[in-house]
Amino acid sequence: MEFTLNSKTVRYEGNPLTRLVDFLREDMNLTGTKEGCGEGECGACSVLRNGKLVTSCLIPMGALAGDDIVTIEGLRETEQGKCLISAFADAGAVQCGFCIPAMVMAAQALLLADSDPDEEAVRLAISGNICRCTGYDLIVDAILLAAKRGKGLW
Amino acid sequence: MVERCYVAASLDEALKIRKETGAHVLAGGTDLMVQFRQGTGISPVFPFPVVIISSVRELDDITAGDDGTVTIGALAVPARIAESQLVPYPVRAAAARMGAPALRNSATIGGNIGNASPKGDLPQPLIMLDARVVLTSLDGEREMLLDDFILGSKKTALRDDEIISAVRIPPVSWSYVFYRKIGTRRANAISKLSLSALMRFEDGRIADFRAASGASGPKVIRSREAENMLKGLDDAEARAELPAFLDAWNEALSPHAMPQYRRNTTRRMLEHFITSALEHPQSEIIV
Repeated sequence: MEFTLNSKTVRYEGNPLTRLVDFLREDMNLTGTKEGCGEGECGACSVLRNGKLVTSCLIPMGALAGDDIVTIEGLRETEQGKCLISAFADAGAVQCGFCIPAMVMAAQALLLADSDPDEEAVRLAISGNICRCTGYDLIVDAILLAAKRGKGLW
Repeated sequence: MVERCYVAASLDEALKIRKETGAHVLAGGTDLMVQFRQGTGISPVFPFPVVIISSVRELDDITAGDDGTVTIGALAVPARIAESQLVPYPVRAAAARMGAPALRNSATIGGNIGNASPKGDLPQPLIMLDARVVLTSLDGEREMLLDDFILGSKKTALRDDEIISAVRIPPVSWSYVFYRKIGTRRANAISKLSLSALMRFEDGRIADFRAASGASGPKVIRSREAENMLKGLDDAEARAELPAFLDAWNEALSPHAMPQYRRNTTRRMLEHFITSALEHPQSEIIV
């Protein structure tokens, strides 16, 4: 079974029920993707699958044939990723940091669909991502800042 | 013992595996991967064989037939259903409020039906719309009313060799329509209560009235007897009949917990929808 991970083709022959989050963290050492609840409730394990946000704790490897997966490690190499990351830093959006990789992925999923979102659209886009430092307002500011600075990138 | 897991690339392959092994179907994984998870770093273990059908592309179309019937493939995800202009409003509204954005990109309509939770979001408006479920096996297809397919909490009429392949919504029209889900937060809220309703006027009389209550009993509740009480009435007659209708709908509910809250709130939502519709406002969507 083959799929694309951060622009590279990956061949997978292991247990089809292994969770994508475990494959990323344990097998590929891509530890930017976090596991919070393991139930799809907290959003910390969010990655992009074919450009759409998904929680990697709920996806079995056997479901990925032909798919395109992007994690924070892939995104940060792109101009869009760099724009998002510097906006998060400049807006002071990062406290403990645990939720942030997935917040950035949620922001990327939003901007891919809507390059000029309003605050309500941003809040909806991160509504499945829990920040236990409760730093939501600064995260919203960061995403709006990235959209403003990154005009033409998305 | 660890049961086998299969990955199917086509519906035909999935049907063969299901018939030979009795494997349960895993589509989006948003129910099963939670139910049988083992913890961080450990793969889920299922007490039955599983066939993963996520890559069966032939099952995710949303199409409209010449007669206006809308067919939604079993693997269509809520994000797409919510955006499709082919899909009637109450189903789109329910899809748009399922889980969170990430879940709406993974969960499937077939899974939401097959899971048969009384709190499932999509069966409720689908049952109001007399949707039918398409069940495919190696022997062919059969169709049945979704209301008949879901037998009770977590129970369906699915045979061991069948896979839910699509949902068909017959043509429908309304003058006014309503959808409301009550949950505790804006994302990932499991319905505490939900209601769909629609009313169609013809020559000043109610030609069609339907409603469906979610999370109010072991399965989605519709009372066709109660619905019929309002049909054929003009505005004044409908207002006079309203208390009796509300009592009849209340009789049909059987909430397992917080019954008083669920009964009162359902009554208030229905009363709000019907009295609003009888005012004949401009907007067809009553909020």
